[in-house]
Amino acid sequence: MTPENRIELHIPSVMGFEKVAMECAATTAKNMGFTEDRVEDLKTAVAEACLNAIEHGNQLDRSTRVGITLTVEESKLQVSVKDEGKGVADIPTPSIENKIACKEKPRGWGIFLIKQLVNEVAFEPNPEGGNVVRMIIYLDKK
Amino acid sequence: MNKDIEVSISNKNDVSIIAIKGDVTANTGEAIEKAYHQVSQDGAKRILLCFDKGSYINSGGIAILIGIAAESRENAQTIRMTGLSDHFKKIFHMMGLTKYTEIFPSEESALKDFH
Repeated sequence: MTPENRIELHIPSVMGFEKVAMECAATTAKNMGFTEDRVEDLKTAVAEACLNAIEHGNQLDRSTRVGITLTVEESKLQVSVKDEGKGVADIPTPSIENKIACKEKPRGWGIFLIKQLVNEVAFEPNPEGGNVVRMIIYLDKK
Repeated sequence: MNKDIEVSISNKNDVSIIAIKGDVTANTGEAIEKAYHQVSQDGAKRILLCFDKGSYINSGGIAILIGIAAESRENAQTIRMTGLSDHFKKIFHMMGLTKYTEIFPSEESALKDFH
């Protein structure tokens, strides 16, 4: 792997900084030739993964950071988002009907959106501590 | 006031229009909720949410919109939306939100459909 195929950044565990990671992923995907709609899909997936890491993984603790690694390959882009906490449990698919009927809280869509918008996703414990969300988006797949 | 969002209220043909410019997130959602509660207090039954095509919308912001959609059913209001990018139209459809709030391509078409 050449150095330019791997990009790493760290953002503070503060809401709003997910946009920094989102724009970095978008620029990388555009350079790779992803279509505009796939770039938008990736932006939302990366933002939601970072938000989960900031809010649920790192519990908004300003002494922690979220690590984002972009790995560029010929036909795919992998984005890993690492937190320093307990990560986010894989939750059941949210129900809009229950949320509209106020039987469920209106929040809880992040993981659902990530799963819908990228080709592959895995939620794993990070051997170095914390948890990692690995997302892969392919150039030739919707 | 949150610097990441600007929300304004107007009225056209008995439709309350809430224009939203900027990020739609959990942090900015209060401004949208405040505008919704204001028009509701004024007796609005038809409400149009006008978004900015370039806006950043995340799940925290969408949750605010779901909360408004839920409240609007209790208040017997009709809520419609316009100004969304194709991406967020797709997202709202994916989540099923479009079953409760119809999306229109323009303010004019939404206003026309209310009547």
